[in-house]
Amino acid sequence: MSKESRMKATVNQKLTEMGERERLKELLRAKLTECGWKDQMKAHCKEVIKEKGLEQITVEDLVVEVTPKGRALVPDSVKKELLHRIRTFLSQHGT
Amino acid sequence: MKMENMLFSGPDPTKLEGLVHDIYSELVDDACLGLCFEVHRAVKQGYFFLDETDQESMKEFEIVDQPGVDIFGQVYNQWKNKECECPNCKRLIAASRFAPHLEKCLGMGRNSSRIANRRLATNNNVSKSESDQEDNDDLNDNDWSYGAEKKAKKRKSDKNQNSPRRSKSLKHKNGELGSNITSEPYKFSSQYNYNPGVNYETLGPDEVRSLLTTQCGVISEHTKKMCTRPPFPDAGATTVENDSFDIPDTQTLMHRLQWEDSPDISPADSASSKASTNHSDSRKPKKKKPTSGLSSGGVGSLTGGSSSSSSSSSQINVSLANKKKRPKLSAPLIPTIYNELN
Repeated sequence: MSKESRMKATVNQKLTEMGERERLKELLRAKLTECGWKDQMKAHCKEVIKEKGLEQITVEDLVVEVTPKGRALVPDSVKKELLHRIRTFLSQHGT
Repeated sequence: MKMENMLFSGPDPTKLEGLVHDIYSELVDDACLGLCFEVHRAVKQGYFFLDETDQESMKEFEIVDQPGVDIFGQVYNQWKNKECECPNCKRLIAASRFAPHLEKCLGMGRNSSRIANRRLATNNNVSKSESDQEDNDDLNDNDWSYGAEKKAKKRKSDKNQNSPRRSKSLKHKNGELGSNITSEPYKFSSQYNYNPGVNYETLGPDEVRSLLTTQCGVISEHTKKMCTRPPFPDAGATTVENDSFDIPDTQTLMHRLQWEDSPDISPADSASSKASTNHSDSRKPKKKKPTSGLSSGGVGSLTGGSSSSSSSSSQINVSLANKKKRPKLSAPLIPTIYNELN
């Protein structure tokens, strides 16, 4: 394992152990719902389902269609805040 | 831990930033996946498209975004000017007044019983035979026009003599006070302030004396209420003008204070002249008043010892009440005169 990947693994481990990962997840979900991202994504899902057919739709289909759009639709403010929190965590607990 | 410190001790900023972004991407992917699972389950369980019905209903309940109309398409004050027929009295009432009207008309609601009692009391005083036969509903139902509402409010002061509030406040005064009240003083009495029937003339000397030692006693011109403030201590600062009133000599004073059947001297006057004596003794004139030498302050009016007509006394009381800034009065002095008498 390279140094980098080791470092990454350690960081991830720390994130999970300290509960920070869960907290960040919840924070992100709350913010996305608040800003309307979830509703937008649901509307997009409806279109995909109508396109593919109600009975034939699979999780994979949805994931493939929805994830790229989801990544793109995240508002900048939410992104910035999350990045900031992650950086703070790393600086506090990484060093 | 130290190993980690070593690892991060010389971090490559870009690599660190890359790491941060990686973590962020993971979190976002997680959120998207969560959403997909949710949607997929809703689809398979059949509750995903529940908010969508047929096209017709969708159009019917579409959100309306026009000016002057709410999102349902309804106009705001559409029913404001409409009239409704009362099921009880069969009258046409304006929509906004309908609910209060019904309250009175049907005899329910908080005030209807009070109004009914009051009406009965008034009618009994005025004309006994008529009130028995009148329909109480009609009597109660006087609020359908604005003018009548005003009238009803004005007569609010015609409170029941035996109402708890009145009897409670009268308890510590003479019980006779309640019975002394005629219909005329109703106009003056306030339902909130204790009122000795307002008319000082109807009170006996003891009553007025006790009244004025504990309270201000000035009757307002507009509301006909008596001021119930406790008497001020004499601070020596006063705007009472002593120039214009004469200090009555002891004999006149004694005569006035005797309260006998002297129709010339009303109790109000006597009270005021009593007070005036107090004032003149203790006060130094400070300011010239624009009005005719009327003293300020709550207790009695002073126009020298001369005027003894009741009209002037009421005038005086009125103008006293009109003056807002009053110096403190010498309540302690009033008892001294009483001591003299006693």
